[in-house]
Amino acid sequence: MKRGLLAAFCVLLLGLAVYPMAGTGYGIRFMLQLFMWIALAQSWNLISGLTGYVSFGHIAFFGMGAYTAGILIAKLGWPWLLASLAGGVGAMVLALVIGWPCLRLKGPYFAISMLGLNEVLRVAVSYFEGLTGGGSGLSLPALYASVAIYYSMGLVALAVTALTYVIVTSRFGLRLMTIREDEIAAEAMGINTFRYKLYAFLLSAVGPGIVGGLAARDQSYIEPISVFPLIMTITMIVMVLFGGKGTIWGPVLGAVLLFTLQEMIWARFIYVHQLLFGAIIVTVVLFMPRGILGVLQQKYNLPRTI
Amino acid sequence: MLGQVVISGLLAGALYAMVALGLGLIFGVMRVLNVSHGPLLMLGAYTTFWLFQWLGLNPYLSLLVSMPLLFLVGMALQRLFVRRVVDAPELSSLLLTFGVSIAIVNLAQLAFTADLRSVEYLTGSFVWGPFAFSKSRVIACAFAIVITTGAFLFLRRTRLGKAVRAVSQSREVAQVCGIDVGRIHMLAFGIGSALAAAGGSLVAVMVAIQPEMGQVYTFKSFLVIVLGGAGNYPGALLGGLLLGLIEQLSSLFLTTQVNEAVAYILLVLVLLVRPTGLLKGRA
Amino acid sequence: MTTSLWKLVGAAAAVALFGISEAEAQAPIKIGASLSLTGTYAKPGTYQKEGYEVCADELNAKGGLLGRKVEFVMYDDQSSTQTAQRLYEKLITEDKVEAVMGPYSSGITESVAGISEKYKKVMVSPLAATTSIFRQGRKYIFMVISPAEFYLEGLVDMGAKRGLKTIAIINEDTLFPKATVVGTEELAKKRGLQVVLREAYPKGNTDFSALLVKIKAVNPDIIAAATYFDDAVAITRQMKELNVNPKMFGVTVGGDIPEFYTLLKQNAEYVYGSTQWDEVLPYPGQKEFLSAYQKRFKHEPSYHAAAGYAGCLIYAEGVKRAKSLDADLVRAELLKLKIRTAFGDYAVDQDGFQTAHKMVMIQWQDGKRVVVWPDDLASGKLRFPTPPWSQR
Repeated sequence: MKRGLLAAFCVLLLGLAVYPMAGTGYGIRFMLQLFMWIALAQSWNLISGLTGYVSFGHIAFFGMGAYTAGILIAKLGWPWLLASLAGGVGAMVLALVIGWPCLRLKGPYFAISMLGLNEVLRVAVSYFEGLTGGGSGLSLPALYASVAIYYSMGLVALAVTALTYVIVTSRFGLRLMTIREDEIAAEAMGINTFRYKLYAFLLSAVGPGIVGGLAARDQSYIEPISVFPLIMTITMIVMVLFGGKGTIWGPVLGAVLLFTLQEMIWARFIYVHQLLFGAIIVTVVLFMPRGILGVLQQKYNLPRTI
Repeated sequence: MLGQVVISGLLAGALYAMVALGLGLIFGVMRVLNVSHGPLLMLGAYTTFWLFQWLGLNPYLSLLVSMPLLFLVGMALQRLFVRRVVDAPELSSLLLTFGVSIAIVNLAQLAFTADLRSVEYLTGSFVWGPFAFSKSRVIACAFAIVITTGAFLFLRRTRLGKAVRAVSQSREVAQVCGIDVGRIHMLAFGIGSALAAAGGSLVAVMVAIQPEMGQVYTFKSFLVIVLGGAGNYPGALLGGLLLGLIEQLSSLFLTTQVNEAVAYILLVLVLLVRPTGLLKGRA
Repeated sequence: MTTSLWKLVGAAAAVALFGISEAEAQAPIKIGASLSLTGTYAKPGTYQKEGYEVCADELNAKGGLLGRKVEFVMYDDQSSTQTAQRLYEKLITEDKVEAVMGPYSSGITESVAGISEKYKKVMVSPLAATTSIFRQGRKYIFMVISPAEFYLEGLVDMGAKRGLKTIAIINEDTLFPKATVVGTEELAKKRGLQVVLREAYPKGNTDFSALLVKIKAVNPDIIAAATYFDDAVAITRQMKELNVNPKMFGVTVGGDIPEFYTLLKQNAEYVYGSTQWDEVLPYPGQKEFLSAYQKRFKHEPSYHAAAGYAGCLIYAEGVKRAKSLDADLVRAELLKLKIRTAFGDYAVDQDGFQTAHKMVMIQWQDGKRVVVWPDDLASGKLRFPTPPWSQR
C-alpha cells in the first residue's frame, strides 16, 4: 500500500514537472498560485497546527518577503531567486522581532497582537516611502518568468511539506505538540516552551517570506493593500482547517480543494461567493474542526504522518 | 489646539468604550472573541438609517429599536452558533465568528447594496470658547456614558447582573449555585450585541454607512479590551478612553497615517509589562 | 450508384465547407475584460461594464466591426490583483480574445499590463490615470482618461488667477491620489502658490478632526484633497463641524457624483469636484450615448461608464482604420488616432499616454453641478470665494 502511494506520488510530481510544456499561460499561473497557497497553508500549520498558537497575522511574513525581495530587485538589481531567498530571511528576522515579545503572551493576547502586526507593517511601508514607494506601490522591471517561478513555487511547497514531515516525526515536533496539548504540563516536564515556540515561529515565517518574494516577482508590482490583506490570512487558516490541522497532507489537501473550488465554481456565482466562503468557514468550524484528514485519521487509525 | 484634540479624543473614547464593553462582556462570560462585533454595529447603524428614511424617526430615538433588535439577534446567534465553541480553543471561536461576520456583511451587501448611506441629522457644532465640537459627537458621547453607566449598574446592582459576573469568574461554581449558565451566555451575547448596536446607531449620523463599516470598530474594540484587560469590565472603559486619546494625539503630533500603528505598538509594549492588560484581565 | 454516391458526398462536403466558412465569418470578435464587480471597486467597475455593453450594442446595431459582431468576455476580478492576473492570462490564452480592455484601478492595471504586453495584445485602459503605468516602455497599452496629475489643475488655475496665495494638499495614501498630489503640488508651485501643508491619511480613515485642526491652524486659501468618495464626504462634513473656511475647497473622485449632494445636501454647495466627463459637455454623440444608456440601465451614467464606452469605441475605430484585427496594425492606428467621442478628446504620445483629453472642474451650485473650468467648456461661472459656514 505504501509503495503504491509512493509510486503514485512520484508520477504526480513528474506530471507537475512537465506540465509547463503543455499548459496555457493561464494554467501555469493558476498552478503557481496554487503552489503558493500550499506553501502558505503548510507554514501556518507549522506554528498554529502544531503548537496551537494561533497566528492571525501570518500574512505579514508574506508581505515582508514581498517587499524585501521587491526592494532588492528594483533598487539593487538583485536576481529574483536570490532576492526571494532574502525575502525568506527578512521574514525570519521579523518573526524573531515579533515573536520575542509576543510568544510570551497567552491565548487571545497573542492572537490579537498578531492581528495588529499587519496594520503596523502596512503603515511602516507607507512611512518609509522612499524605500518602498509607499501607497504608490513598487514596480519591478518587466520580466516574464512564469515558468521559472512555477518551478520555484513548487519547490518551496515541496520543501515546506517535507519540513513538516521531518518535524512531525522528530522529537522537536513531539515537544511542539505537547505544548499544544497542555503547555503547563510541558513546562513541568522541563521543556523550554518559549524557545521551542520561537523556533517553530521562525520556521513558519520562512515559507511565506520566500513565496512572498516570488509572488512579487510574478506580479511585477506590489502595493501595501495587495500584500497585507487579512483575507489571505483567513484563507490560509481555512485551508488548513479544512484539510486537517496538525497533519502533514491536510494543508495541501485544503489548499488544493479550496483554491480550485474558488476558481471553478465560485467565480460563477459572483455575488454570493463571499457569502459561501463565510458559510464554509462556519460549517468547518462547527462540524469538522479536525478537518478532513483529522476525521479520517481518527476513524481509520491512520498514522500521525498523514 | 492640544485642548481641542484631547477633548475630541475623550469624546470618541467614550464611544469606543461602550462598544468595547460589549465585546468584553462576551469574552468575559464565554471566552469567545467575537469578530462579528463590527458587523453587529453595522446592523445597528442600518436600523437607524432605515427608520430615519422611512419614518423620519429621530436617530437617537431609534436606539430604542436598534438595541432590543440586536439584543435578540445576538441571542439567536449565540444559541445557533456560538454556543458550540464556548469551550473550544480560541481559534475555533475566532474563526466561527469570522465566518458569521462575513455572512452578515455579505447579506447586508445583498440586501442594502454597497451604496453609501448617511443620516443627515444634527450637523454643526457646539462652540465653547476656542473649541468647536461636532454636535453629533458630543451627543454620542453623552449617550455612550448613559448607556455604559446603565450597563454597569446592571452588572453591579441587579441579580441577573451579578449572575453574569459570577459566570465570568467561574462557570462551575456559578452552576453549582444554581445559575442557568446557558441562559446567561445568551444574555451576555445579547447585551454585547445591543451595546454594539447602540454604537452603530450613534455613529450613523457621523460616518458613511456601508456594509463594511464595522471592521474598523472590531479592531478597535479588540485593542481596547486587550489594552484594558480582557474580561475586566472597568478595563474596557479605561482602554476606550485611552485609545481615543492616543488616536487624536498621534494624528496631531505625527500624522493621521500612523494612528493604528501607534495604538498597536503601544498595546504590545503594555502587554510586555503587564501581560494581561492594564487592569489585570483574564487569560 | 457509386457516382451518385460521390456526388452526394461532394455536395455534402460543399455544403459543410460553405457552412464552416460562413460560421467563421460570422464568429464574433471577442474582446476580453476583467472588471471589479465585487469588492472595493464594485461600483465603478459595474459602471465600466455598463459602458462596454452600451458600446457593444451600438457597434452591433451598425453592422458590427469588420462585418462581425462584437462580443465582450467579462470576468470579475474581485478587486484583487492576483485574481486579475489569472483572468487576463485566461482571457488571452484560453478564451483567445482579440484584445483586452483594462481593469478598473491603477494598481490592478499596473500589475496586469505586463500580461497583454507579453502576448502582444492591445490593451485599451479606460480608467487608469496613473502616469507611471504608461512610462515603462510598454507598446500595447493605451490610455483614455486624463492623467492623475491634472485632476486638480482647474482648482489651482482658478485660485491663482484670483490672487490666492496658500494651499493645503491632502490625499488618501494609495496610488492614484498620491500621483494626483504630486502633480497638484508641482502645478501649485509653478503658479506661485505656497504649499503650507501636505499630508496623507490611510485608506478607510473616517476621523479627520486632528488633520483639520492642523489645517485650520495654517489657514490656507485653498484646500485641495485627492480623495475617493467616502473620504470626500467625511472631510466636507467635518470641515463644517470644525468651522474650517478656505476660500476654495476641491476634491477629486467623488465630488462629481450625484450621491455627494444626496448625502451632504446644502453642505455640498460651493465644493469643487474634478471629473473626466459630465453629460452637459458639448461633445458629439453625447445625446445618443445618454439615451441608449438610460434606456438600458435606467439611471444616469457616471464618467466610468462613459470612459468604458469610449475605450471600446476607440479600439473599434483603430480596428476599422487598420481594416484588420492584427495587434500591431491596430496599435499603429491607435498611436496616430485623433478623435473626439462623447467622452472627449483622444490622442496619445508614443507611450500610449493620453495627451488630448481634458479634465473639467465642476462646482455644486443650488444642488446642480455646473462646469466652471476650463472656460471653453464651462457652462456657468464659479461662485467665489466660498463663504464661511456661519454665513450660509
